[in-house]
Amino acid sequence: MNLTSFSDFCAQAVKEGMLFYYTGEYSKNVIAAMSDTLRHRLDSTSLSAPARRKIFSTFVEMSQNIMHYVDPDQDGIKVGALAVGHNGDKYYVMCGNPVRVEYVERIKEKVEPLRSMTVEEIKSAYRAQLRNDEHEQQDDLSKGAGLGFLTVARDASEPIEYQIVYRSERQDFAEFYLRAAI
Amino acid sequence: MQDILIQATAETPEVKFLYSANTLSITGESYPENAMAFYAPLRAGLHDYLVQVSEQTPIEAHFSLKYFNSSSTKLLRSLISLLNDAARAGKHITAHWYHDPEDDMMMEFGHDLQDEFGMLHLNVTPFEVA
Repeated sequence: MNLTSFSDFCAQAVKEGMLFYYTGEYSKNVIAAMSDTLRHRLDSTSLSAPARRKIFSTFVEMSQNIMHYVDPDQDGIKVGALAVGHNGDKYYVMCGNPVRVEYVERIKEKVEPLRSMTVEEIKSAYRAQLRNDEHEQQDDLSKGAGLGFLTVARDASEPIEYQIVYRSERQDFAEFYLRAAI
Repeated sequence: MQDILIQATAETPEVKFLYSANTLSITGESYPENAMAFYAPLRAGLHDYLVQVSEQTPIEAHFSLKYFNSSSTKLLRSLISLLNDAARAGKHITAHWYHDPEDDMMMEFGHDLQDEFGMLHLNVTPFEVA
């Protein structure tokens, strides 16, 4: 990237209200540093405590999702992207990461239904999943509590959005992008 | 039995499990990437304690968490579930779930626990904001 592109990139980020953007290697240390930064930024806003909790929660779920599910590349590195920003009063958290093409349908099946649910339906699905003690036995791919996407949807103030992007240079991987507005 | 005392970190809460005083307190925030690694020893300690404690001993548990991630959620629920089982078995337990007074979702979470674990005496109260 040359300086002209970089200054355009910076101007675009400011215009879109971006608080921060990271792309690259994901590790425990990177997440800890980002958590700290986001905390400080949120604490310096006039947002209510619940709004700050929801933004932070969405950031944590998305970051930990990347740590749990992204396949390490040939150098053993997990790569992902994450951005937090705001349009006026509304905050957004977005993430992107590579997924194996064979898992694309599985992700769609988990995320798509959440988009058409009402707040009450999301809460009741969350409750049902929380009380589902058989989850670990039923789903051997899931590493968390099966509550990650539900938590993101529950904390969002509008339906979550996602995109699957296929690139011609990589046949076995697609890119999964997720956006939540709070 | 040895008390369990764990200092808070950025990602994990303070834990004070005092067998001698029959109290368990979990305070702070909980969002470790591997929540199971953090909570498994505590759950095992709580289980062993609840088996041997007498029915006459009053036990107090305090959960005061500002924020917890999805994997901690399931494990916090499992601690409440252990307390509920022990209460059903006749143990004398009072539990408190504290939430941010402004945060309706965290309050609802406490009420959901009350609904699910009916054998346990569980109070849901807003914590004091400094």
